[in-house]
Amino acid sequence: MHARIFLKQFAMSLKVYLRLPAAIFWLIAFPIVMFAGLATVLSGKSDSGVKLVWARSAPALSAEDGALQKALAERGLDMQIMTPEEAEARWRGGKLAALLQGQGGHYTLRINSYLAAQGAQTDALVQQAYLVMQARAHGATDIASIPTERASVGGRGDAPYAAYLLPGLLGLNLLMMGLFSAGMVDVTLREKGGYKRLATTPLPRYIFLAAQVCVRLVVVTVSAALLMAVGAALFGVYNRGSYLSLFALIVLGTACFNSLGYVLASFARGVDAYGGLANLVFLPTMMLSGVYFSLDAAPEWLQRGADMLPLTPLLAALRAVFNDGASLASQGSALAIVGVWTVVLFAAATKRFKWV
Amino acid sequence: METWAVEASGLHKRFRDVHAVRGLDLQVQRGEVFGLLGPNGAGKTTSMEMLEGLVPPDAGTIRILGLDWRSDGAAIRNRIGVQFQSTQLDDKVKVREALDLFGSYYPQPRNPDDLLRLLQLEDKADVYQSKLSGGQRQRLALGLALVNQPELVFLDEPTTGLDPQARQVLWALVRQLKSEGRTVLLTTHYMDEAQALCDRVGIMDQGQILQLGTPRELIASLNQASYAEIEFEGAAPDAAQFTQRLGIAVDVKPQHWAVPLVDPKSDLRKLLACVEELDLPMQQLHVRRASLEDVFLHRTGRSLRD
Repeated sequence: MHARIFLKQFAMSLKVYLRLPAAIFWLIAFPIVMFAGLATVLSGKSDSGVKLVWARSAPALSAEDGALQKALAERGLDMQIMTPEEAEARWRGGKLAALLQGQGGHYTLRINSYLAAQGAQTDALVQQAYLVMQARAHGATDIASIPTERASVGGRGDAPYAAYLLPGLLGLNLLMMGLFSAGMVDVTLREKGGYKRLATTPLPRYIFLAAQVCVRLVVVTVSAALLMAVGAALFGVYNRGSYLSLFALIVLGTACFNSLGYVLASFARGVDAYGGLANLVFLPTMMLSGVYFSLDAAPEWLQRGADMLPLTPLLAALRAVFNDGASLASQGSALAIVGVWTVVLFAAATKRFKWV
Repeated sequence: METWAVEASGLHKRFRDVHAVRGLDLQVQRGEVFGLLGPNGAGKTTSMEMLEGLVPPDAGTIRILGLDWRSDGAAIRNRIGVQFQSTQLDDKVKVREALDLFGSYYPQPRNPDDLLRLLQLEDKADVYQSKLSGGQRQRLALGLALVNQPELVFLDEPTTGLDPQARQVLWALVRQLKSEGRTVLLTTHYMDEAQALCDRVGIMDQGQILQLGTPRELIASLNQASYAEIEFEGAAPDAAQFTQRLGIAVDVKPQHWAVPLVDPKSDLRKLLACVEELDLPMQQLHVRRASLEDVFLHRTGRSLRD
């Protein structure tokens, strides 16, 4: 009897979900667009991907200028030369990270303090080029570099940025599904009387909720499959681990973040209040958990703190499985953290849930 | 079989600083249509939600079909049907799907096609519920309350906001429920609805039932069978002299006088004589039967629509 009700409720909820274009967009199309866009922009096809504007007046190049220009090109800098007036206008536009000025041996490098990280990278490359130029001026002819090798953390070849990003977006999807589907739907049903209507029927509440959570699990799984298909087709990024392990992580993430959504919704007085509350949790979690970039540059205490959030270890496990073919058993400590979160949030959600 | 469909006594409910229901006593017989009539804020909805098992009362006892919510909740839910003022369904659920889905919650659901026919929604079966008109949506909500062939149906303000034609359709459905032997407990703030549909009416105000009986009994209790309404050219004049001469208190409205008639034949004759003597600029004279509205006005000093 209950199995039949569950299946009916599940099928109906899924059908209704798939009729909502907005839901489809945010949970299926958006991650793919985000992935394809970011992976293209940030993968960096050129040698370094670093841009430099060199501002110098029109007259003929001195020997130093020529030598520096050659050395800069060798460093892989994407260089643009313009007049000081043009360069100044560009600088004021705010998009330049670094501006090299001067000629004939007298150079200064201006770094945009807003774009310090990018600027620092340019600075290092320009200084290298300048050293090379000086070494050559002093007669050095055999300047060598240390050979470099690109490799993924797990040592399975050179996975591009897309391989870092894809499991990140997969995890982010799980968080979004919990906060913006589970929590939002919950608070809406309570506010608009949907739960009240159900409360007058003999439908057991756990069946209704289980059906809704299962619909979300199906949707994130399909979304993950599409994301992986795009990753393989456009960026040559594919799952090197077990699909079963990936699915197990998706199930764990769904359980964890759906519970989170229900807990948060139980504290919100209505849809508007919930929107604020959900973003209050969503934005810092997204920033701190290493969805797009590693938190390497952040202070140590912040990194340790972020490691304790549920999404950080989940992403670590997803990346280990996806990129390095790791087994779930090897991800014990990460899974333990997510597991504790899931148990605590599930217990809180169960305790705080109210039909009416 | 237990005699009462609904038995409630001494119900109280307080929300923070609002004492919404203050000592409600109610007994609804099996097979009758009972109406709680009162203005918005009278405590009708809170009373219904207590009886529907949604809101626990602060004090008092409730028995539904002879059962107690605290021990027999599941059994009661299988035997009642509930329609709220507005029912929130997913926008993208189709009419037949909604009936089918709600039916699956019960052991012996009614066939959706039968319900569609009953509700006159056959041609809307495959339409998203969000595309229905107000009246059609209320009929669907009623249909959802009927999927389990309930013995007792709760209808909260079933026709509020509907146009007259849609109201008539719903009224016919409620009469059909009665003819099938089901008990109906409804709330309304339309006195014509209570008068047209209900076997018995409880007049409710400020969390209490002020008076209870058949519409006929309630109106008879006024001891005024009918009202004469006199309209004038322009605003209604001062009625002091007229009242004194006639010996009946006149209710002065902006555009007319309402004169309660205990004995229409003799009172009307006197009334016309007074109009003649005072040479009043009477333009029209209507005689209408007393209504539940008058009962409410009489009991509370306020109109239902205030």
